[in-house]
Amino acid sequence: MEKGFIENGFIVNLSNSKNTNQLVYELSNIMEHPDVKGKRVCLKLGSIDLKQSQLLSIKALIESMDAQIAFIDTTSEQTTVSAQSVGVMVSKMSDNLQTEETPRENEVEVLETEEIPQDDEYVNSENSEASISDEAEEDKVVEVETNLEIQPQQGQGIINTVEGVEDIYTETSEHELSEIIPSERLENDFEVLAASEGLINKEDMSKYILLDTGDVLPEDAEEHSKDTKELPTLYLNQTLRSGQTVTYEGNILIVGDAHPGSEIIADGDITVWGILGGIAHAGSKGNVTSKVRALKLNAIQLRIAGLYARRNDTLNVPYVQKTNEFTPEEAQIENGKIVIYKKLRRD
Amino acid sequence: MTGRVIVITSGKGGVGKTTTSANIGTALAKEGYKVVLIDTDLGLRNLDLLLGLENRIVYTIVDVIEDRCKLKQALVKDKKNPNLSLLAAAQTRDKSAVNAEQLKEICDKLKEKNDFVLVDCPAGIEQGFQNAVAGATEAIVVTTPEMSAIRDADRIIGLLNTKEEIKSTKLLLNRVRPNLIKTNEMMSVDDVVGVLEIPLIGIIPEDTGIITSTNKGEPIVNDEKALAGEAYRRVAKRVLGEEVPFLDLDEPKGFMAKIKNAFAKLKAKV
Repeated sequence: MEKGFIENGFIVNLSNSKNTNQLVYELSNIMEHPDVKGKRVCLKLGSIDLKQSQLLSIKALIESMDAQIAFIDTTSEQTTVSAQSVGVMVSKMSDNLQTEETPRENEVEVLETEEIPQDDEYVNSENSEASISDEAEEDKVVEVETNLEIQPQQGQGIINTVEGVEDIYTETSEHELSEIIPSERLENDFEVLAASEGLINKEDMSKYILLDTGDVLPEDAEEHSKDTKELPTLYLNQTLRSGQTVTYEGNILIVGDAHPGSEIIADGDITVWGILGGIAHAGSKGNVTSKVRALKLNAIQLRIAGLYARRNDTLNVPYVQKTNEFTPEEAQIENGKIVIYKKLRRD
Repeated sequence: MTGRVIVITSGKGGVGKTTTSANIGTALAKEGYKVVLIDTDLGLRNLDLLLGLENRIVYTIVDVIEDRCKLKQALVKDKKNPNLSLLAAAQTRDKSAVNAEQLKEICDKLKEKNDFVLVDCPAGIEQGFQNAVAGATEAIVVTTPEMSAIRDADRIIGLLNTKEEIKSTKLLLNRVRPNLIKTNEMMSVDDVVGVLEIPLIGIIPEDTGIITSTNKGEPIVNDEKALAGEAYRRVAKRVLGEEVPFLDLDEPKGFMAKIKNAFAKLKAKV
């Protein structure tokens, strides 16, 4: 057995969670993944104190995803007592069960893109048999997206990171940092664990997959990088419903949700203070510095300037369950890819 | 090649036109035929959801008609089956964005390169219906064993009979519940066929699996175990001209049920 794994299951390291809310939030993020089904889960809870009821709800959460708690690892006495009363095994993880601690590369995932059939004349094309089905064989490989560039830097309280994320963390002390970063690393832990176990392939973990659209930009659009701050902003305080389109020659700010089936098309940035579930096209006239941001970025398609990305099929749920827990995200173009940054939660 | 253009219609809403289109289309593609599904329900599109292709749509039928893209660019290929593609409806427009000639033109172009073009018709008998029917030469009328659905199906069959291009009209009876028919609470298949007087192409049992399959974006014909999936596979075979017996919906399922059934037969004999 490979180091760091248990049979038919995996270890979730939650020992860096600051409080119960964060712990449950992170755990639920992990448990949302479909491949968790039927697996045994070992929880590393660290020193956090869990009451019996809290542990019960964690257990219920895991069981609701058709998984089981195998055992927990904790240093807290309170948690140990609760676990015993709830009937969850407490065990010290031996060293060979430790999760890997080696630093990982920032995840830039390499994914296959899909091709939208290009300009061939449909009617007149000579190679009639191949006319519709020429996609699969010639998939190109393009690097795509997601996740953090943030890495802990010893003795330095500030992270060199992307614009926008930066100012949030500029004031962060080293102490806080050490607590915030692992919460993101946790996802990585899960991913690496799961991926090397053959549970999940790379594409499954990526939130968006670029569509190879070629030159889909309208003809009058030219790639440019005008500062979106200079553009006017349309402010909307409403829910966008299926079939509704908002188009504006500037930035769009929506306070409310954008339901699946809606379209937001802006020359500049798109900001949704709510759940973004429809199609969002920022920089529709070719502004590559435009960004899409939302409290919950769940757009069915994410388009920035000439780059179009579809949501991964594994995340194809028509409606997002409303919760009070949001991880604001921001999408932008970097080196010809759409990159999504998670704004880390600060409790 | 010249493919067949089949419109799937019903008059009444909610009887299962879109589910039927998605499933027959998928089943035909699985048989190795090249199939294009056209969603003509502009403004209330659903076919993409049933096939789980919503996230891949860049161009729609309206973009094709308004010349913003080539027909081929707007065809979204199915995730699993390269023989199946979808021409999606525009969600942000309404039925007036398209007229019957334009749709006929699209159907004519598509049938040159495909074995089957299935047109998913919107509910109602107005513009949307007229558009959907325009390019078709065959029709499948979907109905459920309820008076309201049958009344609307009757009206639709009447309208289809006035269209010279439609050479054949078949009936698909959806959401049949054998146990309700047994207790005389639901019209039987024979009753419905007796009223509508057109040949039957399929009987689909009520199946709760349809709900999950819709939510997952996975047509139920892909589920080998589902009864409704089997029923749709048989419909596809009948579309292809094969003689396939109708599903025996009375057959009890499961081990215990079979034993009970055997005892019942034994008793009857004694």
